[in-house]
Amino acid sequence: MITSLTTNAANQPAKPAATPGRTITLRIKRCDGPGKPSTWQDFHVRPLKNANIISCLQQVALNPVTTDGQRVAPVVWDSGCLEEVCGSCTMVINGKVRQSCSCLLDDYAPNEGDVVTLEPMTKFPVVRDLWVDRSRVFHALKRVKAWVPIDGTYNLGAGPKETPANQETRYVLSTCMSCGCCLEACPQFNMEEQPKDWDQAFIGAHAISQARLFNLHPTGAQLERERLEVLGGVGGINDCGNAQNCVKVCPKKIPLTESIAAIGRAVTIHKVKQFFGR
Amino acid sequence: MQTATSNTTTPASPSWFEKNYFLIRRLHSLTGIVPIGVFLVAHLITNSSLLWGRAGIRPGDGEGLSLTEGGITYFQKEVTWINTQVPHLLLIEITLWVAIAFHSILGIAFALTGKTNTSRYAYQSNWRYALQRFSGYVGIAFIFYHVATLRWGWTFLVPGGTQWSHHYAVSTLTMALRGGEQWTPAGIAVSLFYFLGITLLIFHFANGLWTAAITWGLTISTSAQRNWGYACLAIGSGLMLAGWSALGVAVLVDPAKARAIEQSMLKAAPQAPLQTQVPDTDK
Ligand code: SF4
Ligand code: SF4
Ligand code: FES
Repeated sequence: MITSLTTNAANQPAKPAATPGRTITLRIKRCDGPGKPSTWQDFHVRPLKNANIISCLQQVALNPVTTDGQRVAPVVWDSGCLEEVCGSCTMVINGKVRQSCSCLLDDYAPNEGDVVTLEPMTKFPVVRDLWVDRSRVFHALKRVKAWVPIDGTYNLGAGPKETPANQETRYVLSTCMSCGCCLEACPQFNMEEQPKDWDQAFIGAHAISQARLFNLHPTGAQLERERLEVLGGVGGINDCGNAQNCVKVCPKKIPLTESIAAIGRAVTIHKVKQFFGR
Repeated sequence: MQTATSNTTTPASPSWFEKNYFLIRRLHSLTGIVPIGVFLVAHLITNSSLLWGRAGIRPGDGEGLSLTEGGITYFQKEVTWINTQVPHLLLIEITLWVAIAFHSILGIAFALTGKTNTSRYAYQSNWRYALQRFSGYVGIAFIFYHVATLRWGWTFLVPGGTQWSHHYAVSTLTMALRGGEQWTPAGIAVSLFYFLGITLLIFHFANGLWTAAITWGLTISTSAQRNWGYACLAIGSGLMLAGWSALGVAVLVDPAKARAIEQSMLKAAPQAPLQTQVPDTDK
């Protein structure tokens, strides 16, 4: 079993084995495209052994007939890695955001007649059905320059050494897959359809954490001031309301609230230095 | 700076608000602690002397006084001292009003940028996030009522129309809370509003201390945040006890009895401020 599956199932009490051959219902929020109205449709599925949500959606795609016998357009969703490392299959399952590929039906619908609801994330524009446009997540990474600046016209040679302690702090931060769970659950992060509004609205926990990741990188630190300048401004670190939902829903268990506090400290110091002319 | 994201937006030159955003946000955080929080603590300690004041009276001065009588006497002394001896009282008050107005207006503006989602994500910290905003709204209304009625003398908002007087600090307070000498339905409502307001404001302060430590970057590790959380819980609990005991004594005391004590104190020292000058003129 993939370890992250057990972590996600950790808040579910241990359950008896799932009923084999059971029929369950997928209740799916459908939408034909941007700006179109949403409706709910139910589909019966007989989950295979160890089925995840994606394999159930594949069954629906094979035979897209609703529980009241209507043949409809197949349900659209996004996915890639199928092992919880790409983040593209993120959706709202039974009211909570998570990856659908690592969501097992044996945990979520173990009995005959169980219902699982699937909705697209609510903080990103819907492309179609369960597929959303997460461009804003990547835009935020660009804003904080979440990279190591090594482009140039000649070989820069080996970079500075990384200490094991630093490496340990950074490793978990580097596992972020830009899935958007932390943004979906954040009360300060709201839907902004227009890209022009993205620079004013709250940037979100993932970008704050990635800024920390690259500030901690010996070469990435060259861009630290520029990152802190963005994060000290409108939509930056100060817009976090410390609800700490982000850290609870992050599938990678990234200590987002520690990153938020660390960047809070860095921005404080940066601004004080700036005030005194550095 | 300008290169990275200029492809998507052509930002107009930043406004004054945007340029000073960091300063404004941190001033908002700071004013919650200094001066508002510091005042709140001092205010609650003074008020709770209604309960513990007997113990604060010097031995010999309070012979034969009961717990309540001692509390009333001590509290009245404190109030007289504040209203007659504290220098620049008006300046202190104006500072507080300005700070509270600043903290409130910005607080509302910032709170409106969020959308609570406790129904989906019912974590304790998320509830505190929601409650922090709710307590702010109620707290503003409560502080306004409290100051307008007891400080600015807007008696038309007081059931029974009692005007608070610093010479009769306890008896007029009790009557303003109860709606008269005896309880009235409106008085019960006012007293419950006080209970709610005091409770929510203390929560707001204690929880604000906790979040401020993250905002400023004082507590970074999860364990540091947890430990500081316990400390804030202790601070909040202590202040709750102070606030509730002050309110409890204030509503339960017999106004006639309190008035008798206040009158005798007033007779004994009719012009407290002049008294301090006596030693000077003696020299
Ligand atoms: S921080 Fe966690 S929840 Fe947020 S985008 Fe990265 S992996 Fe997803
Ligand atoms: S701690 Fe900040 S970033 Fe995380 S969910 Fe709360 S408001 Fe959002
Ligand atoms: S498909 Fe990549 S995380 Fe689910």
